[in-house]
Amino acid sequence: MKKIYMILIFAGLVFGQNSSRKSLIKINNAWIRPAAEEANSALFFEVTNNGNKTDSLLSAEFKFAEKVEVHETYKKSEDVMGMRAVKAVAIPVNTTVKFKPRDLHVMLLNLSRDVKRGQKYGVTLNFKFAGKVKVEAVVKEMPKM
Amino acid sequence: MLSFKTKKYLLVLFGLILTGCKDKLPIIENLNENKYSFVNHNNEPRNFPEFVKGNITVVGYIFTNCPDICPLTTNNMRLIQEKIKKENISGIKFVSISFDPMQDSPKTLRKFAEVRDLDLSNWNFLVGTKQTTDSLMKKVGILAVIGDSTVFKSGKKIYYYVHTDRIQLMDKDGAIRKNYRGSSINVDEIVNDIKSLN
Ligand SMILES: [Cu+2]
Repeated sequence: MKKIYMILIFAGLVFGQNSSRKSLIKINNAWIRPAAEEANSALFFEVTNNGNKTDSLLSAEFKFAEKVEVHETYKKSEDVMGMRAVKAVAIPVNTTVKFKPRDLHVMLLNLSRDVKRGQKYGVTLNFKFAGKVKVEAVVKEMPKM
Repeated sequence: MLSFKTKKYLLVLFGLILTGCKDKLPIIENLNENKYSFVNHNNEPRNFPEFVKGNITVVGYIFTNCPDICPLTTNNMRLIQEKIKKENISGIKFVSISFDPMQDSPKTLRKFAEVRDLDLSNWNFLVGTKQTTDSLMKKVGILAVIGDSTVFKSGKKIYYYVHTDRIQLMDKDGAIRKNYRGSSINVDEIVNDIKSLN
């Protein structure tokens, strides 16, 4: 009898933890551009909000970058492009926001090592409501379009 | 008064000239008389466009702190290089020129190329003095002005350029014959243009 109680308590712990851990923010297709040590790279991904209120990406963390910023590439005029930091990126309910080339990206600044094709890295994204969301990103030149 | 027949002939002739020019890719800017002294990614002197004369050359404009547009432009040049190799077209050169001599050095350019495993056998990355760089950029119509920046805890500051997103096709005589959007160029289009100039 005691044993069954123990199992039930244990199962409750496991399932309870699982459901609370299940994030309503889903990240897909995370990838990083190759870049040399001391240079900058960019992280791209698709983020979907399955929750019931708008969330926001506030910041991100990468162990091998001195600093990480949320950026966007923008068109200044015909054929002239620029890049700037953005404060937060809203992820509305039931929407997928794409961080992609020539658009939104997470800038990985002053890398402490070479980031080369085929390598995989863990990156943490910080959302206003979902909190920290860990993703694994693969290093590649371009996603398959 | 010109006769109807003469007018018709003139019209046809004019049309032929027009389509002829279009097919032949008009000269946008001729660099033939100019000499720009750069060093390449191995710190070897390279006078542009002299050192590529006699070769059709694909020219890209970059700065290495750029994480998005310039890597795309560079990767597109790699795709052009691969397609040319596959189609057995020889004698084509590739040049990537930094418009950011204040932050780029031969070493940063070499690392930028090496980490991407680029084939540098017919590809040079160039950097020069600010004066040389600015004068070339003005000549070829590349706009590059300092925009936003990032400051690190150490106090070190890096800045980013608002710049023309461009790849250019230069003929064997050092004349720019066509402009393309570097980060989103159609590889087949430029390879066809290379064939038409070859
Ligand atoms: Cu950026």
